[in-house]
Amino acid sequence: MNDGEIAIDGSLGNTEPFDSKNERVLNPHAQRCLQQLLRVWLGFERDLSTVPLLRRIDLGTYTIDDHLCLLRNLRQQVIEGSRWITRTASSFDRNHAEIRSTIISHAVDEHRDYELLEKDYVASGGDLNDILGMERNVGSEALHGFLMHRSSRSNPVDLLGAMWIIEGLGEKMARSWAERIQELTGLGEDSTRFMTYHGHNDGDHMERFYDMLDEVCVDELTVRSIIKTSRVVARLYRLQLEEVEHELE
Amino acid sequence: MTVYITSTGAFLPGPPISVGEVEGILGAVHGKPSSLRVQIQKANKIETRHYAIDGNQKTTHSNTEMASNAAEQCLDRAFLTRDKIGMLAVASTQGDLPAPGMASMVQAELGLPAIEILTTHGICSSSMMALKAAWNSLRLGDHEAAVVVSSELSSRLLKKQRYEAATESTYASKRIDFNTEFLRWMLSDGAGALLLQDKPAPKGISFRIDWIHGFSHAHALPTCMSVGSAGLPDDERTWQDYDTYGEAEKAGALLLRQEVRLLDNIVRMGVDGYLRLVEDGISVPSEIDHFLCHYSSHHFRDKILDLLDAAGVGIPEERWWTNLYTRGNTGAASLFIMIDEFLRTEDVTISDGDTILCFVPESGRFNTTYMQLTAVSS
Repeated sequence: MNDGEIAIDGSLGNTEPFDSKNERVLNPHAQRCLQQLLRVWLGFERDLSTVPLLRRIDLGTYTIDDHLCLLRNLRQQVIEGSRWITRTASSFDRNHAEIRSTIISHAVDEHRDYELLEKDYVASGGDLNDILGMERNVGSEALHGFLMHRSSRSNPVDLLGAMWIIEGLGEKMARSWAERIQELTGLGEDSTRFMTYHGHNDGDHMERFYDMLDEVCVDELTVRSIIKTSRVVARLYRLQLEEVEHELE
Repeated sequence: MTVYITSTGAFLPGPPISVGEVEGILGAVHGKPSSLRVQIQKANKIETRHYAIDGNQKTTHSNTEMASNAAEQCLDRAFLTRDKIGMLAVASTQGDLPAPGMASMVQAELGLPAIEILTTHGICSSSMMALKAAWNSLRLGDHEAAVVVSSELSSRLLKKQRYEAATESTYASKRIDFNTEFLRWMLSDGAGALLLQDKPAPKGISFRIDWIHGFSHAHALPTCMSVGSAGLPDDERTWQDYDTYGEAEKAGALLLRQEVRLLDNIVRMGVDGYLRLVEDGISVPSEIDHFLCHYSSHHFRDKILDLLDAAGVGIPEERWWTNLYTRGNTGAASLFIMIDEFLRTEDVTISDGDTILCFVPESGRFNTTYMQLTAVSS
């Protein structure tokens, strides 16, 4: 992976977070929604480059301390993530049994991911008590508050917008952060297991995502609500990452 | 005022150079063949290209000469006397002289008297910047005709002597410095020219310019392709901050670099820009008959295709047209060289009313530019 050789070969395989070779035919609303979601994602991904800690990954000045800081801050988000996703599942009524099943199985996949993060933290030289004792940063509070609020409403289809952003980021971590972080810090593979594992898993999640989108996104109102929620989540997620360097005492 | 491209011209210096001959022209650094050349050339799939330097790395044509040759050909093909030309816009990554602007030098070479000139400086998208400014000048009624030229002589940056002189650079200290060597096997030389007029040519096909739009993302993304710094994360000096140019050269601050790792952003921002145009109703993918996409390497073609498809705004591959594989990646000159050959090639039939989408992304600091043309036949 040194110096990007593999990326130019193309031997890294699909480097986009989307199932781009898809032959899937979505209903017209879902297709429009997907197009707009893609724009929200591209803007989100671009703007992540302005987050100081992540910019250091781009510029090559990211350190082990940065990595510990990032992991400490991610853990709360991951713990809370499994909570809003299970709450989302329970907010769907029986007319949405299919989507409810999908979300439940998604939650099962991920609800203990934070344990992986804790192991990564220790493998990166951190003290387990530091990550266990870490509270939510300002951005995590806002993001969690918003997601719990939305997921408590009945049939919260707009949260597909949240899943889009969060799953996309999981894929991005695996695709462009994990190896780069190892390379810059000299840490081993066991320092980024969460990022790598999460990314592999998210490929399947994207498949299911397209199916859900096709099923529930059947009118303009739904398109708008999904897009709006994706924008809010993109902004609050970036806020959470911007706040990692303002640790609360 | 409606504006048309009524004539085109191109100039490619010297004979076509095949994959295996490239290192013979640019020179093997310290006499040692590059270990990256084959890999990079395999990925870009460029079969032939042209250089304005010979096998001894001596310049055979200046950048000004190449630009003027392309402009001469364009004007020779035009139904217009030269005294009608009110403006000359010239784009290049680096003219022969850092100052004055290259348009002054090209104007002198062409002998066009008392015209308005513009030099745009950038990388690939500088051609589109020059074209947009000239288009706007005609739209405002300032001139009835303008010549727009883009020309690149990057081989002077890529010849072996540049790398040999960078004795204290990342290139000298690393076993493999992919970022510094990457563009060496990508770029080549050439020039293209377009004539803009406020009416279509009396004969043959003209292209009406429907719109030109650009989106730059430098506010968010780091520099990806550049000359002028040593490429070290904690060294903010640029070439003019060294005590002498000699020191800057030793440090590798005069080498052309590509942060390969950041390159995927150009595909993503390129698609983002196109989605903006579709969302605003400016471009309708199904109405595009021909897509002239400047991609620097074949490697990126599939990536662009896939991402456009994923977004549901794909343009069928049979509508794509390029001459990258035979003319090389000539940076800012690429689009004009492409338009010139597209108009003449027998591979494609251009019919009255055909819509042509042109796309020039620039990885420098992520500027993406788009243009739509409509074929008008007289």
